[in-house]
Amino acid sequence: MENQEHSSGRAPKEGWVMAIIHLILSYYSNLITNPFKSGLAYFAVGLIGVLFVGWILFPLALYSHHQQPVDFSHAIHMDPDIVDGIEGDTDQEKCLYCHEFRDDGTFAGIPRLEKCTECHDDPEMPWGEDPREEQFLIEYVADEIEIPWYVYSRQPDCVYFSHIAHVKMGELECRTCHGDHHLTETLPAYKENRISGYSINIWGNNILGYKQNTWDRMKMDDCAECHSEKGHEENNACFVCHK
Amino acid sequence: MKFNGKDITELLALNRRNFIKFMVGGAAGTALSPIPWKLADDVAIFSQNFPWVPVPPVGEFLYEKSVCTLCQGGCGIEVRKVDSRAVKIEGRNDYPVNPGGICPVGMGGLQILYDEGIRFTGPMKRVGPRGSGHYQNITWKEAISILTNRLVSLRSRGELASLAIVDGNPKGSTLSAMVERFGTAIGTPNYLRPQNADDTYRMAAGLMIGNNGPAAYDIENSDFILSFGSGLLEGWGSPGRVINAWGQWRKEGPQTRNIRIVQVESRASNTASKSDQWVAAIPGTETALALGLAHVIIKESLFDAKFIEEYSFGFNDWISEDGREHHGFKRIILEKYSPEKAAAITGVNKDDIVSLARDFASAKAPIALCGKGKGSLNGSLYEYMAIIALNSLVGSINRPGGLLVRDTLPLADLPDFVPDEIARKGLEAPRLDKAGSFKYPFAQSVLMNFSQAILEKSKSPIDTLLLFSANPAYTEPDGGAFSEAMKKIPFIVSFSPYRDESSVMADLVLPDHTYLEKMDDIIWPYGLQYPLYGLTQPVVDPVYDTRNTGNVIISLAKEMDGSVKAAFPWKRYEDVLKQRAKGLFESGKGLTRYKGSLPAWEQMRQGKEIKPDYDDFNKMWRNLKRGGLWYQPEFKYNNWDGVFRTVTGKFEFYSKQIEAVSKAMVLSDLGIHAHGDEAFMPHYESAHHSGEGTHYPLRMVPYEIINLANDRFPNPPYLKKTLFDNQLRKDESFVEINPKTAAEYGLKQGDRAYMLFSKGKVTVRVNLFHGAMPGVVYMLSGLGHEAYDDFSKGIGLNTNRIIQAGRDPLSGLPVWWETPVKLTKIY
Repeated sequence: MENQEHSSGRAPKEGWVMAIIHLILSYYSNLITNPFKSGLAYFAVGLIGVLFVGWILFPLALYSHHQQPVDFSHAIHMDPDIVDGIEGDTDQEKCLYCHEFRDDGTFAGIPRLEKCTECHDDPEMPWGEDPREEQFLIEYVADEIEIPWYVYSRQPDCVYFSHIAHVKMGELECRTCHGDHHLTETLPAYKENRISGYSINIWGNNILGYKQNTWDRMKMDDCAECHSEKGHEENNACFVCHK
Repeated sequence: MKFNGKDITELLALNRRNFIKFMVGGAAGTALSPIPWKLADDVAIFSQNFPWVPVPPVGEFLYEKSVCTLCQGGCGIEVRKVDSRAVKIEGRNDYPVNPGGICPVGMGGLQILYDEGIRFTGPMKRVGPRGSGHYQNITWKEAISILTNRLVSLRSRGELASLAIVDGNPKGSTLSAMVERFGTAIGTPNYLRPQNADDTYRMAAGLMIGNNGPAAYDIENSDFILSFGSGLLEGWGSPGRVINAWGQWRKEGPQTRNIRIVQVESRASNTASKSDQWVAAIPGTETALALGLAHVIIKESLFDAKFIEEYSFGFNDWISEDGREHHGFKRIILEKYSPEKAAAITGVNKDDIVSLARDFASAKAPIALCGKGKGSLNGSLYEYMAIIALNSLVGSINRPGGLLVRDTLPLADLPDFVPDEIARKGLEAPRLDKAGSFKYPFAQSVLMNFSQAILEKSKSPIDTLLLFSANPAYTEPDGGAFSEAMKKIPFIVSFSPYRDESSVMADLVLPDHTYLEKMDDIIWPYGLQYPLYGLTQPVVDPVYDTRNTGNVIISLAKEMDGSVKAAFPWKRYEDVLKQRAKGLFESGKGLTRYKGSLPAWEQMRQGKEIKPDYDDFNKMWRNLKRGGLWYQPEFKYNNWDGVFRTVTGKFEFYSKQIEAVSKAMVLSDLGIHAHGDEAFMPHYESAHHSGEGTHYPLRMVPYEIINLANDRFPNPPYLKKTLFDNQLRKDESFVEINPKTAAEYGLKQGDRAYMLFSKGKVTVRVNLFHGAMPGVVYMLSGLGHEAYDDFSKGIGLNTNRIIQAGRDPLSGLPVWWETPVKLTKIY
C-alpha cells in the first residue's frame, strides 16, 4: 500500500524535470530513428512536396509566355553607328524619339507602325540583313498592319498614370522605372498571368514580391515608396491614381 | 510483401495516422508556399476584369466636331475618340444652337452606332418569314441589281402607280431632295412623308401668312411664353437650345428678367410643373382656349390695333367683291368664344382665362408656341392657326421675342431635269393617299389613307415600297394600320441602318450609315429663329459594310436608263451637298464660326450687320466641313412690308385659300362642321367619336419624355435605366391616372388592368398621379418595340398601336391625342 502510494503520488524530488526531458528525447529519437513508424517521413514528404510545387512549379505554371510579334532590338536602334535616324543627345532623348509625348501631353507609349515606317518605308528595301527585319517588313509594313505588341508595363485600367508628370515635372529618367531596356538585343517574352491577365512585370518577377531594382515590381506600394522618398507624400492619396 | 524478412507495410507503417500526417504536412506546406496568397490576389483581380465590364480603350484622344441628327434639333456635338473608337458624345460650346448642352438621347448616340443587335451589318436579302429578322448577306452589287431590275421592270410595264416611297428624312434636307428627285425621275406619284409638327406649322402659316418657311420662335428674347403643350423640357425643338433658353429665363442675379412661362397641358409634365402657371385644358380643346383668350384680348381692346389695321385681313366685317357681307374674326370670336363658353369647353376656370389673356396681351414680348410634346407628330391645323392668330393679335409677329416669318434656307436648287415619257405618265396617276386632292388639299402626305387604301383591297395596289430613313410601322399613330398594310405589299426595300419594325418587314435591305459615319446636312433646326445649316461629319469610319444612301441612289440611277440616269449626274453625294451649299454662299451673308461670347439670338436682337467670315465658296465649304455650321443671325424686326404672301398680301384671319378650296368641296367632306365664314378662320371643332363615348368613357393621351427616343431612331439601351419604376417595371408599361378616376374603377397603385379600345385590349399597370387630369389615361410613348434587340423588343407598350386616330379637320391628318379607352381591373 505504502509503496503504491509512493509511486503513483508525487514524483521523486530530483527526477521530474529530467523525466520530461527523457520523455521528449525518447519521443523524438523515436521520430528520427524510426521516421516511418513515427510518421515524420510522411509529414516531411507532404510539406516539402507542396513547398516545391508552391515555390518552383506554381510560379512557372501561373504565367503563359508570349513572344513579341516582332523581335525588336533596342540595342541596334540606339547605336548611332548602326542607326543614325534616332535623334537625341542623351539616351533619354533617344527614347522619347519613338516613345513620344503627343501634342496634348499624353504619352504615346509603344510607337505605332507609322513611327517605324518613317524609316522602314519600303517593304522591299530592308536597312540591314537581319531576318527579323525582313519578317517585320513582310508581315506588317507591306500590308500596313499595326503590330500587336504586348506591353510589359501596362498598368490596370483603374490606374491613372501620367508619364509627363514623372518625366518632365519629376525629372525621372526612363531607366529609373524601366531599367536598361534600351540595351536589350532581343525582346523578352511577355508573361501573362493566366488568372488575372496582368503582366508579370506588375506583380514582379519574384513570386515573393522581393525586389532589388525599381523595375522589378510596379505595384501600388512601389509608387507610394518612391513618392515618399522624394517627398511627395501628398501623391499617395487614393484619388491621385484611382480616378 | 516482404523486405529483409519484414513486412513492408509494417516497415513503412502505411496506416491511416501516417496518411493524416502526410496531409498535415501538405497543408502546412501550402500555408508556407505562395499558392493561397497569390491565388487569392489573382482571383480578386480576375473578378474585377470580367469580359463584360466596360473598359476604356487605350490610345490617342481625339475630338471630332459634328452635328446631331437624332431629332430635328440639330445640336452641335463633339465626339471624343480614343484612336478610332468613339467613346463619348458631348455638346459643343462653339455651336450657336445648343451652347454646350445636349439631350440624353444625343448623349446615348454611341450605343446605336456600335450595337450589332440593332443595326444591319451590310446589304441583305430576307430569308426567314417577314418580321423574323432572318437575313442573308449579299454584296452591294447584287443588292443594287435586284432593286434596279425591279424598278426597271415596273417602268417598262408602266405600273409606276404601284411604286411608293416613304421618306423620313427631314423636310428640305439634301437627302430628302435626292429621294424625291429619284421618285420623280422614276415616275411614282406616291412620294410620302410622315408628318410632324413642323409640317402642320407650315400648313397653318401657309394659310394665314402665305409663307412656307419654317417655324421661327424668338423665345430667348420673349418675356411671356405661352406654350400650347410644347414639351419645352421634354425635347421640343432643339432640346439643347430650349433648355438653355429656360436657363436664361430663370437666371438669377442682377440680370434677372421678369419672365413668365405658362404651360397649357392637361398633364403635369416637367414643363408644366416648372412653369409659372399650369393651365390644364381638356386634351383637344386647346383651340377653344386660344380663341377664348383672343376673345378677352379683342373685347378689352388689348390687341395691337395698328398691326391689325394695316397688315391683317378678315379681322373686321367686310363686303367681298361679289357684294356678300362677311363676318370678321372679331365678331365671330366675340360671339362664340366668351370666357364662359371657352371655360365650358376646355374645363379651365373662366377667371383664369380672363387674367391669362390680360397678362399675355400686356407683356412686352409675348409669344404663343404651337405644338404637343416634342413635335415629332403632327398637330391640329385649326389649333395652330388659332395660336398664330393669337400671336398676331398681340402684335408678336416679327417683333423681338415673337413669332418670326422667315424664308427657307437659300440653298441652291438642284439642276432641272425633264422626266421622260414613262415617268410623266406615272406622275399623272392619282396618289394613293389622296394628298393634294380636293379632299386633302393642304396635306402633303396622308399616310393613314395610304395604309387604308391597301387594307381595303384584297390585292395591294402597291407592289414595291421603298423606305428611306423611316419607320412608319412603329411611328405612325394609326393603331398598327401601316404595319398591317406592309404585310400585304409584295416587295419592300429598306435603306434604314437599323433593324427597326419596318425594316424587318423588308425583303431587301440597303443599309445607310448612321449619322456618325456620314456627311449629311440638317436644315434649320426646328423652331430656331435664324437660318442655320448644319453639316454632319463622319466622325468614325463606317463600322459595318454600309453605304451612304445618297451614294446608293446615285449608283441605282446609273444602272437605270431614261430620265433616272440623267437626273443624277453626280459622282458622289458630297458633290450634291456642295452644289446646294453654293446657294448659301451666294446669299452673300453668313457665318461659319461661332465663338460663344455673343449668343446668336442676342446678336440678331442687336441688329449687328454680319460680315461673312469667308472670302470665297471653297473657304466657306472648308469651314463648313470643319465646323459643320453656317448661320445668319440677322433679321429685320418690326417690318411687315412684303412679308405676307397671301392672296390679299396681308395676314389673313380669313384664309382665302380655304375659301378657294371650299368652292370645289362640301366643307363637311373636309371634316369641317362650322358654317359660313367661321370655317375659313381658326375655330374650334369638337372631336367626333361616333357613339363611342359610352363604351369607352376615358381618353388615352400619349406623353413624351426627353430621356426616351420615340421617333424613327432606336432608343439607346442605357436610357431605359433612366425610367422610373412607375413608368416601366420589367416589361410592363404603366398608365398614369388621377386617383379620382382610379377610385371610380376600383384601381390602386400598381394594379394590373385591361385597357380596352375599339380594336383590342392591352394589359397595363396603374400609377396614380395627381398631375393627371381625371378621365384621362396617360401613357409613355417610345416603348413597346417589336424589333431591335432584347433591350427594346417586347418591353412595354407602343402607344401608336393603341391609338385609334380620328381625323383632324381640313388637314386630314390623324388626331392621335385622344383615343377613347376603358379600364377594367384584373383580379
